[in-house]
Amino acid sequence: MAKDRLAEVLQEWEAVIGLEIHTELTSLNTKMFCGCPVAFGGEVNTRVCPVCLGMPGSLPVPNEKAIESTILAGLAMECDISRFSQFHRKNYFYPDMPKDYQISQYDIPFCVGGHLDVEVDGDGAGERADRAGLRPSEDGAYTTRIGVTRLHLEEDTGKMIHVGGAEGRIAGATHSLIDFNRAGTALMELVSEPDMRTPEEARRFAQKLRLILLTLGVSDCNMEEGSMRVDANCSVRSRGDVELGVKTEVKNVNSFKALHDALAFEIVRQAELLASGHEVEQETRHWDAGAKRTSSLRTKEYASDYRYFPEPDMVPFTFDDAYVERMRATLPELPDARKARFIAAYGLPVRDATALTGDLALAAFYERAVAAAGVARSKQVSNWTLGDFSAFLNANGLEADETCVSPSALAELVGLIEDATISGKQGKDVFAEMAKGGGAPGAIVERLGMRQLSDTSEVERIVDEVLAANPDEVASYRGGKTSLVGFFVGQVMRATKGQANPGVVNEVLARRLAQ
Amino acid sequence: MSAPVPRDLSALSVTDVREGLRSGALTAAEMVEAAYARIDAVESGVHAFNSLSRELAEQAAAKVDALAAAGDDLPALAGVPVAFKDNMNLIGTRTTCSAKILADYRSVYDCTAVRRCLDAGALPIGKCNMDEFAFGSSTENSAFGPSHNPWDLERVPGGSSGGSAAAVAAGEVTLALGSDTGGSIRQPGSFTGTVALKPTYGRVSRYGVVAFASSLDQIGPFTRSVEECAQVLGVISGRDPMDATSVDREAEDFTAALGQGVDGLRVGIVRDLCEMEGCDPAVRARVYETADALGKLGAKVGEVELPSTQFGLPAYYIIGPAEASSNLARFDGIRYGYRAKDAEDVMDLYLRSRVEGFGPETIRRIMLGTYALSAGYYDAYYGQAQKVRTLIIRDFERAFRDFDVLLTPTSPTTAFRIGEKATDPVAMYLSDVFTIPVNLAGIPAVSVPCGSIDGLPVGAQVMGAHFAEGTVLRVARAIEQVSAFDPVPPLVRDLA
Repeated sequence: MAKDRLAEVLQEWEAVIGLEIHTELTSLNTKMFCGCPVAFGGEVNTRVCPVCLGMPGSLPVPNEKAIESTILAGLAMECDISRFSQFHRKNYFYPDMPKDYQISQYDIPFCVGGHLDVEVDGDGAGERADRAGLRPSEDGAYTTRIGVTRLHLEEDTGKMIHVGGAEGRIAGATHSLIDFNRAGTALMELVSEPDMRTPEEARRFAQKLRLILLTLGVSDCNMEEGSMRVDANCSVRSRGDVELGVKTEVKNVNSFKALHDALAFEIVRQAELLASGHEVEQETRHWDAGAKRTSSLRTKEYASDYRYFPEPDMVPFTFDDAYVERMRATLPELPDARKARFIAAYGLPVRDATALTGDLALAAFYERAVAAAGVARSKQVSNWTLGDFSAFLNANGLEADETCVSPSALAELVGLIEDATISGKQGKDVFAEMAKGGGAPGAIVERLGMRQLSDTSEVERIVDEVLAANPDEVASYRGGKTSLVGFFVGQVMRATKGQANPGVVNEVLARRLAQ
Repeated sequence: MSAPVPRDLSALSVTDVREGLRSGALTAAEMVEAAYARIDAVESGVHAFNSLSRELAEQAAAKVDALAAAGDDLPALAGVPVAFKDNMNLIGTRTTCSAKILADYRSVYDCTAVRRCLDAGALPIGKCNMDEFAFGSSTENSAFGPSHNPWDLERVPGGSSGGSAAAVAAGEVTLALGSDTGGSIRQPGSFTGTVALKPTYGRVSRYGVVAFASSLDQIGPFTRSVEECAQVLGVISGRDPMDATSVDREAEDFTAALGQGVDGLRVGIVRDLCEMEGCDPAVRARVYETADALGKLGAKVGEVELPSTQFGLPAYYIIGPAEASSNLARFDGIRYGYRAKDAEDVMDLYLRSRVEGFGPETIRRIMLGTYALSAGYYDAYYGQAQKVRTLIIRDFERAFRDFDVLLTPTSPTTAFRIGEKATDPVAMYLSDVFTIPVNLAGIPAVSVPCGSIDGLPVGAQVMGAHFAEGTVLRVARAIEQVSAFDPVPPLVRDLA
């Protein structure tokens, strides 16, 4: 999908996007309604018991911690917490669901009516053709508020393994196997308002949700392993139209990039259908990340009747104000607040604060490094954290807390540069050594004999040598060709094997050449 | 030399057995022998059991006898032969619910109430016949054929826990557990002359009893005496972490107050139910005589009306089937149970496995419930039925302000003939008209024999407020004494 094509389409058409995001509460020790352990993988059908297998006579007992996690997530998104709530049964037959009903929530979810503020910057901000009513910030970035309709809790299904068909899909399969290890895992479902207008906004919303859930520590939010699953509803309409177009639902979106690309494809597909006089069919579509296209999965010929009714195996839940306030008091610092604090306390630009707080481990690393380096050097520490350190993490697929580079070591490195012991350029070489496990920066500097030459008299001696060896250039310089200063700096650096303090060199050169 | 004839120990009470074990006058192994001897003698006519579990019973007996031999304290039900309705899970047995779809289903875990009986030293003799998935009032809906009433083998023992009731009445076991969703313990108790209790909803864990209607189901005992009923209740009640609807209450000794009599207790005859058309006048007369007798013992007898209970039956036939339609969805041929052969796809597998595996009454209830929960009908049916339920609860609350217990017949008639109502579901449903409101309100009620008509037992239903089992059983004990009902049917008397 050409980026330009999307931008072109979005000039003429408005996309309306809503997300349904299922997140497994992987931080819980046990499943939603039984004592089976929660973990990805495992020998098939080993993490099961009579309850999550739906054996006759077994009963569900709700996991209080799962409910707490959901309420915390709701509070983090400024939802209202229902003072009375209950589970319902959603009745439908499918082989991956052992009871042939799913315990879910219906008209009274635990949390309703919240929102997330989503900042869109960089290239993706350009997808938004109409900025009316948005909060703009620096560099063409903007912030948009996306409503959260509801947040509820339900149980996950097992996994079907289709054998004999292509890519494990059911079409063409000779038989199907079922692994119930996942069945009964607590699953939190978020339904957003259809407030997103571009694929980038959808991606940012999902990323923001992930960051919040990671901050709360309720899930590992791993899209590839399926602990966070995003379904995207999307329709398009001509700019200016009020009525919504026919929507499709896109499934099998296994990464944030896939979410963006699938929506981009779908928006262009729908717009082209409508532009050519065709209609969009209401259906569920499957994203094929390899082919970079969606294809029809099933058409909703008629709405399913799930025959919801209150789950009689459990008593309803009531939450008083004191409980809600107690939960609210346990909320950790959330991403927006952390970003604001980074700006206020460390004097960082928005861009730095956004990048640092967008990754929990990186933010924690940064804070420890600043604590060691001193707040006066917060910007320099940020530069190093977001620069060489992040590049090193990305190149090796590491998290900030998984490396041999400690926050205090990075702080030490910044200190060596700031007190002019080494140059910034030398710092990069020192960092490369640190990243290889070369030890503390001070020791590396010692070992490599990298100390910066800042002694003025020594620099003067070398400058004098360089000037004496290049009389023609000195004459040209003094004749007005001042651009030759770079040449002299280079010569001095060569003579000192790059160890001369550039500031001192510049100062001495300026003085000597002026004589 | 012929094999030794087992002693007839079937008349022994729970207390008798414990005393006998303690004194060395009998052994648990002998109790097993006696139970199976009685089964050999009567079972061909009664058909109370779907399966027997002699090996489990002998293992349990060996443990009890070892305790007794060591002079250790004996648990509450030591050496007592017990039977379980075939919807209660017990490892080592099939749990069929008298349904073809579960005909070969082997339990993979133990029902909590069953486990509590066995931990208390009871001997598991077998699993009892029932109406398929507990849908019925006669056991005629069993896929394995009906049970017969020991008082008259041509009559039904009631249902759905008819096998459990018949097994106790015929002396095949000392006690049995049943489940009661709309009267499935009390009505067969009435038909077989046994003491049959439905405890307060939440008093006994439902974990391990195959669900019919989750908001109504409750496990309870059949015994030949009120004292034993109280003893068993003490064993099976109490909070179970596996059942979120089980209630956390201090353990109670339900036998403690039994002997206190009814002097000063307020007994309310539920007039509108007793006078209902369709209630056999002779049955009504027995209950009124019982009330008079309680009055003579010092009870303050009065009359009360429960006007909303007239809507109990229709409300029950919405809520029960609605919950059942969902609870029975899991019997789909995928993971266990009957699976149709040569299905074309998964939908065909579901449809044929269920149509071939379920009996007609089960299919009727699933259809009723599915319809009642359907979009567009929910409010008119399920929603409305829940409102009726609230009204019935209020009726009872009002009544229990003026009375300690309420009294009705357990069922409008004595045991009917096999086949008599089999083709008329509504006539069958009416058999539970007095018992259903109790489930809808979640209160406790016991059926206790209060006399007989033409040689068939009549049960009086004593209802109490939530968790008032102690009072209910105290009144039942008084009725037991004044009625002087002999719980031994002629079939058993003739064996001697």
